[in-house]
Amino acid sequence: MQQRQSLPYVFLVPTMAILVVLAFVPMFYAIGVSLENRTLSSPDSHFVGLKNYLLLFGDSRFVNALWVSVKWELITVSATMIAAIGLGVLMFEAAGPKLRNALSLIFLIPVLLPRVCAAFVWKFAFHPLYGIITYPYRLITGQPLDMLSSPTQALFAVAFVDLWQWGFFFAVIVLKLIEILPQQPLEAARLDYAKPWQIHVYITLPMLRVPLVSLMFVKMIESLRSFDLIYVMTRGGPGTSTETLDMYAFSQGFIEAGKISYASSMAVIMMVATVVIFTVVWKRLKS
Amino acid sequence: MSYNCIRTIALATVFGALSASVATAGPVCKSDVRILAQPRDALTMLEEQKADFKTLSGVDFEIDYLNEGDRRAKSQADASTTGRYNVYYVDEANLALFASSGWLVPLLDHYPAEFDFDDFDDGRKTTATYDGKIWFAPIQGGGDIMVYRKDLLEAAGIKPPTTLDELRAAVPKLTDPAKGVYGIALRGKRGSGDNVWRWMPYFKAEGGQWFDNGKPAFDSQAAVDATNIYLDLFKYSSPGTQTGSWDEATGAFLSGQVAIIIESAPLAAITIDPAKSSVTDKVAFLPPPSPMPGGGFAHGFAIGAKGNPDKEARDCAGLFVAWATSKEVEMKRLEAGDVGEVNRKSIVESALFSEKYGTALPEALAATAPKTAVNFWQNAHWPELGNKWGILLEELITGQRTDVKGALDELDEFAKQFASD
Repeated sequence: MQQRQSLPYVFLVPTMAILVVLAFVPMFYAIGVSLENRTLSSPDSHFVGLKNYLLLFGDSRFVNALWVSVKWELITVSATMIAAIGLGVLMFEAAGPKLRNALSLIFLIPVLLPRVCAAFVWKFAFHPLYGIITYPYRLITGQPLDMLSSPTQALFAVAFVDLWQWGFFFAVIVLKLIEILPQQPLEAARLDYAKPWQIHVYITLPMLRVPLVSLMFVKMIESLRSFDLIYVMTRGGPGTSTETLDMYAFSQGFIEAGKISYASSMAVIMMVATVVIFTVVWKRLKS
Repeated sequence: MSYNCIRTIALATVFGALSASVATAGPVCKSDVRILAQPRDALTMLEEQKADFKTLSGVDFEIDYLNEGDRRAKSQADASTTGRYNVYYVDEANLALFASSGWLVPLLDHYPAEFDFDDFDDGRKTTATYDGKIWFAPIQGGGDIMVYRKDLLEAAGIKPPTTLDELRAAVPKLTDPAKGVYGIALRGKRGSGDNVWRWMPYFKAEGGQWFDNGKPAFDSQAAVDATNIYLDLFKYSSPGTQTGSWDEATGAFLSGQVAIIIESAPLAAITIDPAKSSVTDKVAFLPPPSPMPGGGFAHGFAIGAKGNPDKEARDCAGLFVAWATSKEVEMKRLEAGDVGEVNRKSIVESALFSEKYGTALPEALAATAPKTAVNFWQNAHWPELGNKWGILLEELITGQRTDVKGALDELDEFAKQFASD
């Protein structure tokens, strides 16, 4: 009996220990560094308390990066979920099983492409003179369209690529979730002459609430890690219009100033904000 | 005996002598040399000559490539922390930071004398010098050159501009978007080595100085005028260059969409290379219009400090740098038509150089030399300051902000923290 009770710990302790080392050591190290004035160019550093954090809130570029990050999350997560649910339902309603499988296979391709490759391909597609995306505009107006150079359009252009990668993938997941739902409630609704959209709005989607919320959280976390996509397509520009928090931290830490402690303080703020916001959203949606 | 035959024998003799001199001292290297660089034709060719280096040193080498901005960021991170690389590709813009931070070791302490460092172009040697010491051996360098389309200028009845005023008058006349032709191609992408690099000649042409009696002078009238000129010219710059760099600007010219471009000198040779240019027989060269100075630059290989903890490792890295930039390797570049990456006086003065390129290109390159100057602030804080201005300038170019003086005032305020340096 004693052996049976201790067995879970035998399996759990080593994995938890590895997790703690991998997750907590860098985290506490980052917090420690953020309380110093460490730079790449100098081997010496001193404890400066909360100075870096206080400087951050007077840094307009940091505030801008924070706002861009919020916009990026809202745009990419909402667009991906809307597209995924729409496409998933459309495939379920309009396509037979064979076509659905074929479409599912095709829809998986974008997410299999490494994001840096996707970014380069789409950067060229958005080129004002050669790009396939901008071609119709050129054809109709005779003018070039340079979306990646527009402060108001650049973020949407990059978000479109993110949607292309993840929207189709999530649509396949939504389709498979609908397919495995029990068919009786849907049949009952059809017998009552419910229209397809009513079936999905009032029956299918409420039944899928928990997996859809989980999917949304996966996308929220994934969107926080879009550094490579934005970096390749706009490098945060034009100006700072697509500069997210992680990109600004990277710029301060490595590209521009070598201010490792300052960059770490941004990383810590990002981590705390993410944990707090995600916890609140999760609890709200769960209830 | 033909010239080629004599040259081959001479090269073989020199290379053999070098190999023998190193061999008699015993193998210098014990482990493969790791290099962090940015893509260059010269380095692609270098990889094809790995066997020669192995004969010389007894080891192999491996080059990791990143584009310019990423290479700068990664080399800074690596040199200051782990030091995984033995050799870094450095440039004029980050040399001061790398040298003053102790991330490099002085090159000549580990550069074998028989490779003749003095043979390098004097301007590039000066650019490779910081605090009285030489830190890298050049792979590429020079100043700026103006390349223009003879056919487009002739058709428009415009003489090639020799002054900045003539350039400003010519560019709008040459722009015809309906025909897919733009007067000029500039760089808009933010960065000390991108939009700021191309803006600096206008700043200097207007009499701008970074500091005045130790105080930042970034919001001077010269800076305002230079920025207004740059923004005015950008109205006629080809689409895609507003947030573009060297690739976008030169790509537009090479594909035939641009009438005039003022860029770093290696572009000249690329424009007459049929494999890379669609306008090979339509271009001509001139120095940048007066009073614009050319932006003096040099890129090259330097020995990392952390990656080479002892003298033996540094000697090995020094041997690689010397070999990779040697006369023999440069001659092979010239033979392959890579004239933009030739740095040694003996190669430029060689019979083969004249044989391959006649007189027009060498004369044009020579004419840029007196106009070449160091335009940027040679200080470890330059990347930070230059990048700050790069963001502000990109915002002005893309219309995110319109107040030129306000942007320069902001830069001036930012620069005050560095004034004491």
